Amino acid sequence: MESNSVHQDPDDPRSVLAAADQARQRLAAGLRLPAGLHPALAAAAAVQLGTAAYGIATHTASGLAVAMAGVAVFLGVAALTLYQFRRVNGVRVDGLASQVVLGTGATPALVYAGALGAATWAAFESRWWLVGAAAVAGGAGYAFAVLRWWRAYRHDPARHAGGASPRMLAVLAVFACLGLVALLAAG
Amino acid sequence: MARLDPLIHAPARLQVLTTLSAVSEAEFATLRAALEVSDSVLSKHVSALADAGYVRSRKGVQAGRRTTWIGLTSVGREALREHVAALRRLIDMVD
Repeated sequence: MESNSVHQDPDDPRSVLAAADQARQRLAAGLRLPAGLHPALAAAAAVQLGTAAYGIATHTASGLAVAMAGVAVFLGVAALTLYQFRRVNGVRVDGLASQVVLGTGATPALVYAGALGAATWAAFESRWWLVGAAAVAGGAGYAFAVLRWWRAYRHDPARHAGGASPRMLAVLAVFACLGLVALLAAG
Repeated sequence: MARLDPLIHAPARLQVLTTLSAVSEAEFATLRAALEVSDSVLSKHVSALADAGYVRSRKGVQAGRRTTWIGLTSVGREALREHVAALRRLIDMVD
């Protein structure tokens, strides 16, 4: 570790901590989000919201198929995004996976719930332009929340690196699909 | 009370654990670049830390080539937290 720019005195705790923090910051500063992540994620979330609203409102087999297709599109884009991030940067950050797949945190949860509620109401009223508008707004808000998380991560990577493991995310995705099916079946 | 950990008292090993705390897993080459060390130096430190259960490593594929992925374990995370707390206490005492 002789080439670190912080002058190191192994007997000086301040210098040792500074060099360690600098190495961590160097890694975090070098990480890049895949090109086009935000538009792709916004579009995928919008498709998922719109199709879910349509599926809930129509209560038909075709509605269920459309809703499931929306979930598949969203999960496909999320998985591709995370794969590209790992390939480009040579690291895995579970906190990013949680943000992209689950939208964990108060802001994305509220944005998503609000958009789904508005889109579903509009679908029941057959106001399809409003379904689209709510879905697009929800998708944009979802992507913006990921961007906000990314800025927080770059500022304090150790605090924001953790998240649900890939296995837990897969389990939650399956439960989300089952929940959607149950909701449509109950309707 | 947090104590200094002799295994990560060496600045190089502290840097490995601190850097890994920013991610869930890092490829060997990525970690080496962040730490600005040679393959052999990093390999030696990773082996020592893995033997103590502070890091885990697994073989994988990255961009079509075989590589090693390294991640901090919960034991390593706790050891890092305690060691850093002990170092900060030392700094406070000096100040």
